[in-house]
Amino acid sequence: MNGVIKLNKKRNEEKILSVIFLAPAIILILCMTVLPIIYAVNTSLHATEYAQIKEFIGLKYYREILGSVKGWSAIFNSISYVLMSLLLVIPIGTICAVLLNQKIAGRTFIRTLVIIPWVLSQTVTALLWKWLLNSNYGPVSYIYYSLTGQKIDFFNTPLAAKFTVVLANVWNSFPIVLILILAALQSISADVYEAAQVDGATRLQTFFKITLPLLKPIILTTVVLQSMEYFNMVTLVYTLTSGGPFNATQTMSVLAFKEGFEYWHLGYGSASSIIILVLNMLFSIFYMKTLRKKD
Amino acid sequence: MAGSYATGKKKFSIYILLTYLVLILFILVTITPIIWGLITSLKGTGEINRFPPTIFPEKLDLSNFYKVIFLSNFTTYFKNSCLVTFLCILASTIIAGHAAYAISRFNIKFKEQMMFGILMTSMVPAVALLIPLYIMGVKAGIYNTGFMLVLVYTSWRTPMLTWILKGFFDSVPIAIEEAAMIDGCTRLRTFYTIVIPMSQPGIVSSALLTAVYVWNDFLVSFTFVTKEELRTVSVGLYSYITQYGVQWGELLSAVMITIIPIIILFVLLQRKFVDGMAAGAVKG
Repeated sequence: MNGVIKLNKKRNEEKILSVIFLAPAIILILCMTVLPIIYAVNTSLHATEYAQIKEFIGLKYYREILGSVKGWSAIFNSISYVLMSLLLVIPIGTICAVLLNQKIAGRTFIRTLVIIPWVLSQTVTALLWKWLLNSNYGPVSYIYYSLTGQKIDFFNTPLAAKFTVVLANVWNSFPIVLILILAALQSISADVYEAAQVDGATRLQTFFKITLPLLKPIILTTVVLQSMEYFNMVTLVYTLTSGGPFNATQTMSVLAFKEGFEYWHLGYGSASSIIILVLNMLFSIFYMKTLRKKD
Repeated sequence: MAGSYATGKKKFSIYILLTYLVLILFILVTITPIIWGLITSLKGTGEINRFPPTIFPEKLDLSNFYKVIFLSNFTTYFKNSCLVTFLCILASTIIAGHAAYAISRFNIKFKEQMMFGILMTSMVPAVALLIPLYIMGVKAGIYNTGFMLVLVYTSWRTPMLTWILKGFFDSVPIAIEEAAMIDGCTRLRTFYTIVIPMSQPGIVSSALLTAVYVWNDFLVSFTFVTKEELRTVSVGLYSYITQYGVQWGELLSAVMITIIPIIILFVLLQRKFVDGMAAGAVKG
């Protein structure tokens, strides 16, 4: 009898504790993430004047965005930004991880130097690259000048600006890919490689026939994580090019940010935010479906 | 046998040489922008605006650092960033830590659904929340306050931290806690005196990730704070561009002051950074 009462008391105590432990986190998440989404949906359906919400206008903003060149070119810019970045970041990260997975002298030191860009902010990344590629005083421009007799301005031609933003992004974010793939490589048992060596496989064969297939799941995960990261990225692009020249680097996220906080079109900006959110959701659903198929 | 071993070894060393060459190339690419920034920050204004650029400063000139530290508001930005980062680490670790422990150990209904919900909210992009939070902040009267910054960072870090910390708490053997509770230790005491010290490495890792996130953030600070005296370093840096034309020497000195603490922290505690990062990413 006594034991049962004790157990009940313990259960009650646990119930109260679990409410106290969970409440702050849940309240914060509800107030600062869930509520704003509902609020943004509401704002996007009303005319706005600065922070004032006026009359209901339905899907007008959505039609405006999805019916305009500005909206579609932003979506196109986002897609090309994500794809170009992935195309560089995944092979570079993988190669660097495979090289660093060997037992070579100075490995920790080299790894530290290679990962450093990851701890720098997107703002700092943008500023460092802006200076390195500066057309008047930068060393890159000087090298180009001594070869061709002309200075080069990376931020004035649309195509060059697109590549510059991708390059700075790859520099800043390939260490993440490197870390994730290196962690996966370290969990592959050495027996597999020994067996391959006994069978007389060359290094390239080992890489393509053994390492790469074993890395496939983590590469897939990395692709998904990074594509969402790149798609939602504002700071790097905004601080490096502000979406210019001629909107060439204006991705959907940069468009939403600028509409909101440069032009103060909060309704239009909210609608763009909701479009970004929906695209994110579609992408996660697609990802989960493909993962389930694999299982 | 011996012969084949020897040739194997020879091939091996050529391969190692190649590895080093490629890795050195990687290092050059990763550190060049930083080193170029550092070199520039040590040059005088006249030497910075010269074409062709000099590789090493002709005369070491610390006037840019002097101007940034003593003649600008940058020290205020720096202090603000330190304070906000510290408060966010404290608040988010405490809040997420308790939630993670409850999910890890207590019998809660809809536990799976709750974890899934938390995961989903951690994936909501910041850019989608800025505008509604701006309007809500203005209406609530907390726009343009340090409190707003701490509130936003803390609540955005909470979902991810809860996931990471739950993973670390799960790996603490439950038997130790049971033994302590049989000895008359309450749940609460077990958590504070046994579980937390045992998961200290995980807590440190996740705190470091929060530190990097808050210290490096531009978007939240740019959006919710416009007062000069509340500005944080990332936004402070950006203001060098619009405010004074571009003062590259001062700007890059400020950049160096901003990145040095985080680089030192990273070099000293690299293992912990990498652990936390891997835990967070795999879960996310």
